[in-house]
Amino acid sequence: MPDTASPGPTRRPAQPSGGAILAVEDLTVAFGGLKALDGVSLSIAAGEITGLIGPNGSGKSTLVNTVSGQLPVRGGRIRLHGGDVTGRRPDRIVRAGMARTYQIPRVPPTLTVEEVLSVPLLYAGRDRHRLPGLGDAAAIAAFCGLGPLFRRFCGDLSVTDLRRLEIARALACAPDLLLLDEAMAGLSHEDSVEVMGLIRNVHEQGISIVIIEHLMRVITSLCHRVVVLNNGRLLAEGAPATVLADQAVREAYLGKGFAA
Amino acid sequence: MKTGLTRLLPYVLILLATLALVWIDKPFWIQLAIGVAITAITALAWDILSRTGQVSLGSAAFFGIGSYTLAIFEPLIGLALAWIAVVVVCALAATLLGLLTLRLRRMYFAIATLGFALSMQVLVVVFPDWTGGSGGIAPPVLADGDPRWQLGLIGLLLLAAVALSDALLGLRFRPAFFMIRTKPELAAASGVPVVRMKIFAFIVSGVLIGLAGACYGGLYGYVVPTDVFTTNWSVLPLAIATLGGMDTTIGPLLGAIALKALEEVARSVIGGTGYQVVYGAVIILFVIGMPQGIVGLLRKAAALAGRRTAAGEKKKERERHA
Amino acid sequence: METTLLAQSLLLALTTAGLYAAIASGLTLEFGVTGIINFAHGEFVMLGAFLTYFLYETAGVPPLAGMLLAGLAMTALSWLVFDGFLSRVLKQDEHNQILATIGLSILLINLAMIAWTPDARVMHAPPLLPPLQLGDVIVPGNNLVVLLVGIALYAGMIWFMRHTRQGLLLRLAADDPQLAVLAGVDVTRMFRLSFLIGGLTAGVSGGLVALILYVQPLVGVDLVMRAFAIVALGGLGSIGGALIGAVLLSAAENLTATFVPGGGSWGYGVAFVIIVLVLVVRPTGLFGSERRA
Repeated sequence: MPDTASPGPTRRPAQPSGGAILAVEDLTVAFGGLKALDGVSLSIAAGEITGLIGPNGSGKSTLVNTVSGQLPVRGGRIRLHGGDVTGRRPDRIVRAGMARTYQIPRVPPTLTVEEVLSVPLLYAGRDRHRLPGLGDAAAIAAFCGLGPLFRRFCGDLSVTDLRRLEIARALACAPDLLLLDEAMAGLSHEDSVEVMGLIRNVHEQGISIVIIEHLMRVITSLCHRVVVLNNGRLLAEGAPATVLADQAVREAYLGKGFAA
Repeated sequence: MKTGLTRLLPYVLILLATLALVWIDKPFWIQLAIGVAITAITALAWDILSRTGQVSLGSAAFFGIGSYTLAIFEPLIGLALAWIAVVVVCALAATLLGLLTLRLRRMYFAIATLGFALSMQVLVVVFPDWTGGSGGIAPPVLADGDPRWQLGLIGLLLLAAVALSDALLGLRFRPAFFMIRTKPELAAASGVPVVRMKIFAFIVSGVLIGLAGACYGGLYGYVVPTDVFTTNWSVLPLAIATLGGMDTTIGPLLGAIALKALEEVARSVIGGTGYQVVYGAVIILFVIGMPQGIVGLLRKAAALAGRRTAAGEKKKERERHA
Repeated sequence: METTLLAQSLLLALTTAGLYAAIASGLTLEFGVTGIINFAHGEFVMLGAFLTYFLYETAGVPPLAGMLLAGLAMTALSWLVFDGFLSRVLKQDEHNQILATIGLSILLINLAMIAWTPDARVMHAPPLLPPLQLGDVIVPGNNLVVLLVGIALYAGMIWFMRHTRQGLLLRLAADDPQLAVLAGVDVTRMFRLSFLIGGLTAGVSGGLVALILYVQPLVGVDLVMRAFAIVALGGLGSIGGALIGAVLLSAAENLTATFVPGGGSWGYGVAFVIIVLVLVVRPTGLFGSERRA
């Protein structure tokens, strides 16, 4: 069971990483004249849980939206498993093995949990990559704690359950790399603990994870590594304790860093 | 939950109704049924498209393109190939319109499709050598003018439309369509090729409407642009599907029947002019009182009945375990 | 000779542009604030036209006064319509909203047909102003009136939006409804206000229509289509864009009708082609913003 009381890292030992699963090289994303990402280069190690943090407007969401194919690239490259996926459509990137969640998951209220999960199962084209035991909608739902809600309409789900559903949906894409966009936002303490446990379980299945988070206790307890963005640029990266103690990082947050 | 029986119901009803009407052979009822069938087909087609979030006011474009394509190509390549041409031309037009309006959202989409439909009228008038201009054009008459065969053929097309609508409400398509409607990014993030699906829905919808239009033109062997390309044929499918109940197959069918019945009653009471006032009145009443349509009303009634028995069951359960 | 024809055509275009701008600005205001496209807007114009016509023909009410009364009457009707059923549609899906105003349009058109027959009537009002002569070009007096009143309506709306407190609140409700709610603005009241103003401009525009066009239950349909084209050109929600759109559309229509053989019968169709072209190239119109769509 996830250890919630202690503030220190409680992660499992890192999987032997064969290198970077995702790498961005000199990535620039701009909206008109405004550069949301300015020549960012970083790599995400395979088999780890990497935290992506930074103050508001630092480019975290932009980075996730860009590597998942939703935003156009002004300059630079994106590599998944070493292959160039720059400019690919979002559904093709899912096919290549990267899935993401949405912070505000707007699912059609008239669909059931089962039906939502059926979509990636039918369309993601990842049948060869499916983990045994996570091969069908019911198994995935159960894994994410949605077993009893399998036939429930999404319009009847609580916020926490919708979050689980989002993670389940992304899991149903059988990804090698999972990007989680603020999965804890707005959750109660107990609920966020449960979701953190779920994230750990996902990682134990061998899936690399990147999580955008504001809650530092989540970062410190879940992540092997942390990447810090500020003003569209890479500010720092390394082990959580090191990064969070970094002076520049603290200054970027103007002292708001350790909100829990 | 849809049992096997309820799924077969529309097919059985249509088959029985068509056979009965052909056998009874009363012209008034056959004409009525033809009218219902044609509008039902356009409504089903409209609903299919709207499931992807594309709320179209451009049905008239395909309705007219269908009848005009048949009329233009029949003397050139013969009847059979002309019908195939209807399918091909409508598919192409649907692909074009779908791509043009891809990035338009909601109300902008509706207006653009409306503009497209009305632009067709301009096109027809501007190329009178091909289209007969505002004077109209003469498509080949359907089934040599025999109303019973006409009803039979149109009934078959309706069955095809029902089958398509059903198929697209299955697990393979319905969740993906709804996701595209609610949040296309989520669909894409689940591996759905969003653009392809939207165009696919457009093509299915456009071809069905075009075939219905070609049948309509073939009823009397004569169409004018001020009939087939009017806003009427764009509004009617929307109204029928919405009043009957969207996202279902039975909804557009019920809506078509209900609206036709309403029209006949209104016509006899009010006369030839202005009887469509009932359309307006009914639409407004529906929007206020029954926004989920007839199907929604039926579902609520069923739920009430179900709740009563379920509540009764729960009570019995508790008493048993006490 | 060609230049005279051109000048005459363009000048006439300008006068109708004033009318179109007045009609379109009401439509675009309603959409900008509420997000609803009022397909029945043309019918309010039509009813205003009928009212002005009957007031003149049966009671001798001078057209300008009649227009004003028509405007007030349509304001009242808008109030009724909004509180009666449009307000309930605000929270519903887009297809229900489209259906609601289309239903209203069908209702009003057919009521008019039942009451007054589908026949077209022409208001035989004497010119309210002397004709304007610029060289070889003549602009009839009533066209001048239409231009002036149309511009006045339009300018009045711009002034209202920019220089009154209500106008400011309207713009706030349009641009940022959430902020408006936080600021304590009664958003429903703002929605209603936008429809009241829309009704007012529609009613007065109806009087203008009676003055230089004809009076007939279906007259609103073509006009509202043009209004859509203008709003698409100028950008939904942009009142400033509506004038430019109106000028462009009027010019395109009149030039087509004048110079293209047989163009008179389909000159109006230019509107529709424009709608499609503009929306495809610039999905939010020439001057619109990424707002509610």
